[in-house]
Amino acid sequence: MTTQERITTVENPGAEGEPVIEVQNLFKKLGGRMVTNGVSFKVYRGDTMIIMGGSGCGKSTLLRQIIGSIKPTSGSIKIFGEEITDMNEAEMGRISKRFGMLFQSGALLQSMTVGENVALPLLEHSDVDEEIAELVVKMKLELVGLTGFEDLKPSEISGGMKKRVALARALALDPELLFSDEPTSGLDPVMTAVVDQLTQDLTRKLGMTAVVVTHDMTSAFRIGTKMIMLGTGQMQGKIIAEGTPQEILKNPDPMLQQFIKGEADGPIPLRLSKGDYLKRLLGTN
Amino acid sequence: MSSYLELNFRILYWLLVGPFRKQPLRLNHIFQQIIRIGVEALPMSCLTAFSIGLTLAMQASHELGKLGANMYVPNLVAVSLLRELGPLLIGVIVIGRSGSAVTAELGTMRVSEEIEALGVMAINPVRFLVVPRFIAMLIMLPVLTIFGNYLGMVGGWSICHFALDMNTAGYIMRSVEATRLSDLYSGLCKSFVFAWLIITIACHAGLRVEGGAEGVGIATTQSVVHSLVAILMANAVLTGLFFFF
Repeated sequence: MTTQERITTVENPGAEGEPVIEVQNLFKKLGGRMVTNGVSFKVYRGDTMIIMGGSGCGKSTLLRQIIGSIKPTSGSIKIFGEEITDMNEAEMGRISKRFGMLFQSGALLQSMTVGENVALPLLEHSDVDEEIAELVVKMKLELVGLTGFEDLKPSEISGGMKKRVALARALALDPELLFSDEPTSGLDPVMTAVVDQLTQDLTRKLGMTAVVVTHDMTSAFRIGTKMIMLGTGQMQGKIIAEGTPQEILKNPDPMLQQFIKGEADGPIPLRLSKGDYLKRLLGTN
Repeated sequence: MSSYLELNFRILYWLLVGPFRKQPLRLNHIFQQIIRIGVEALPMSCLTAFSIGLTLAMQASHELGKLGANMYVPNLVAVSLLRELGPLLIGVIVIGRSGSAVTAELGTMRVSEEIEALGVMAINPVRFLVVPRFIAMLIMLPVLTIFGNYLGMVGGWSICHFALDMNTAGYIMRSVEATRLSDLYSGLCKSFVFAWLIITIACHAGLRVEGGAEGVGIATTQSVVHSLVAILMANAVLTGLFFFF
């Protein structure tokens, strides 16, 4: 199945009602560099929004602003219709309980077992007793193909397995909204397909909304219903393309096409030209 | 300094107010930390205290012997240990062993996004990570100090008994005569203050780590140095208070 064929099967159940996430004119300056530069977009219920872009373009920083981990320099972020940029810790906690976050590294608590990690949000934020929590843990681990790993420590499992445990933890409270930072990096192709299928099921069948930061174009076109691409170099932190997967594929922007096709040569400024290289090496103008 | 004071206020908030706002303390976490911070430090603390008691008795005997006053060796050992050396030395041992471990652990958690993940899960890191360690340290440093005092006295006794031919009853009697209950309390009061300083400095350094493994190393060194300076200064202030009042 080609990418084009795959994306024609993707439905867009969103684009109705109030947006779940509304980002407007967002700016973030870090170390004198503008890493988020006037970003605006909306994500509706049931959407899977893909945020893509080259390394260092500010994808993870954008995600961290949306989940409230870091404050933007200026701009507005609304989640479930509530402005979060000026929320205090307690108010943000109320919103956080409604979403799950899968970190790039998994971010599992190393001192706890796999089962304890998955049970943590349940035990902290719900009144379920430990037996029920244990049952939920088994169900969530089954979802990510890790039945029977409850008693292992994160240091005893592989990187890909850690990521799947982190996904199970993010889904522990059945969130309305799931944020994922590189959910399929480090996973084998079969497990990548399983995680993609899980995301699709959750968004299409249960109406969950997902925001996924990824470099994996196969996965992005498989699950995405909306996509934005952040630029690098001169366009650092700006949205250079936005639309449905079909629109993104048709977009003639050479930077976007180079990224989607994964070509070494193109306008994405990864390396200096030969002339610039010599000038910089010899210190001449 | 302001962030350190803020951390202290946050600890007190989660300790005193949190339980009344449906944010209870998890006893199993506290017990885990009691074992890691306190119980596992017990052999090292006791060995150090024993050797200090031994050394103190030998040095005292060396000087007091010239005056024919070896009978006062137990007095010197008991007073020195209970008032000063017990709390201070056990504090130093705990800084090196447990304070540095707390900083390194929290620092590594920060670097590996674990603390950020807690925040995103609406679990306050101070309540979840710092408060159990704080309670464990406040309980266990005074307990370790009591054990240390006891083992230090045993160290002193072993010199008095085997080298100075003093009988056990005499050693105990002279030690009890030389000290008052207030000496024990002042030592325990010091160890309580030291515990507060050690754990808050260690947690503060760990929670502020930036920049990967190098940052963890720098924070751990700073935590140890700052804790040592803090308890030495606090010791001088507290000794002054007990001396003058």
